[in-house]
Amino acid sequence: MTTTRETRPYDVADLSSLGFWESTASEREKTFADLRAHRPITWHSPAEGRLMDDPNDQGFWAVVRHADLVEVTRRHDDFISGEGIVFDSVPPELLDAAQGFIAMDPPRHTQVRRLLVSAFTPKQMKRIEDNVVANARRIVDEIAAKGQVDFVREVAMLVPMHNIFDMMGVPEEHRLALAKTSETIGSYRDLPGNDPTEVVRVLTESLIGFQVIASELVNQRRTNPTDDLITSLVQAEVDGEKLSDADIMSFFSLLMVAGNDTTRQSTAHGLQALTDFPEQRAWLMEDIDGRMTSAVEEIVRWATPIMTFRRTAARDCELGGQQITAGDKVILFYASANWDTEVFEHPGRLDLARTPNKHISFGGGGIHHCLGNQLARRQLAATFKELLTRLPDIRSTGEQVYGAGNFFHTVASMPATFTPEAVR
Amino acid sequence: MKITHDAQRCCSSGMCESFAPDIFEISDDDGALQVLDATPDESRRGAVELAIASCPTEALSLE
Repeated sequence: MTTTRETRPYDVADLSSLGFWESTASEREKTFADLRAHRPITWHSPAEGRLMDDPNDQGFWAVVRHADLVEVTRRHDDFISGEGIVFDSVPPELLDAAQGFIAMDPPRHTQVRRLLVSAFTPKQMKRIEDNVVANARRIVDEIAAKGQVDFVREVAMLVPMHNIFDMMGVPEEHRLALAKTSETIGSYRDLPGNDPTEVVRVLTESLIGFQVIASELVNQRRTNPTDDLITSLVQAEVDGEKLSDADIMSFFSLLMVAGNDTTRQSTAHGLQALTDFPEQRAWLMEDIDGRMTSAVEEIVRWATPIMTFRRTAARDCELGGQQITAGDKVILFYASANWDTEVFEHPGRLDLARTPNKHISFGGGGIHHCLGNQLARRQLAATFKELLTRLPDIRSTGEQVYGAGNFFHTVASMPATFTPEAVR
Repeated sequence: MKITHDAQRCCSSGMCESFAPDIFEISDDDGALQVLDATPDESRRGAVELAIASCPTEALSLE
């Protein structure tokens, strides 16, 4: 029997309320575990919005199992991205500004992605390896004498900020302002106050600030091209045509948000995990160079920095025995897939030696697979190597504050302490 | 051993290059994958199979 969107009953599990996302990852996992075991593809009431409620939004399918998430990711003709990639209903002008080519489908997605791909190849990553290590060193230099820091503000935020902005060509004086903008866009659910008008005002102000700086940089590169990503964007041609200004701003913003707000979360969750599992940390320290590769994979699984992405059914089709109707929203729950016991033994245990580690934190394999995955891995390895060798007792104090959003798995702040490095 | 590359499916993730940089290369110019050696020596089979298995879009295959 086929039901329509209007009459299809909602599952009893709550994935939609603000409260669900304000709880902790381990609380949410109880709901996901139940769904994975008993009802893997379920229909739910629309996400409770912070900004707007869309009267045309009738709900979404929840995909919680690893195998199903991988399947949806690979069926990009059935489950498209061009209708939007975030869970919430968001005002369209905001969406256009932030989604970039991640919310495109082939053939245009392929064309546009190729414009940027050469900056993220393995060859290119090797070329910038020394710079990634130097950035990690510079950040640890700054905190080494302090003994206590807000790990998010003074480490986790700065690592990806310097690396992605080095690649993009954003000069030092604009970096903190843009990283802050990026955070506001990516984590608007964490903004104080409950008044949607106020939240939209703060967001709009942030976006305008971003556009002023970004368009200045874009104009500079038109006059004085260099070898950075902003120059690649202004010089790029698709089908013989230059990108529009709106496209350039949108791709600038995507690189900025995807570059800053992902590895930031993985770095912070990584320190928390190393604090919570001292025996794992000790194991890593016995051979930090030899064991870092598998450790980074497990940290990325553990963090799951992006918790949800949305697809939309392009046509009527079947998924996991459920009849999906063209136009239905389909939400992929990455943290749930990363805890799937069909794939991971004891997913609730941090296991830095886990091999193979088939986490889907960079995507389930498909055309939208994280462009920056190799950059992220190199940054995490360089940062934890520098931190753990120079500040071997650095730990979270346990007073960390998590965000309430349903997109990035944010850590808003994380006090950390350590024995200061001897003055050299 | 002959490698087939489906340029339509390829998203230039670079995963293949990370396993076998002597065989696969993402072009610096246009971001397209170039198969540098479509008929590599049998001794490279292990790396080639890893590269093919790692492809997120299943754009590579062996004949």
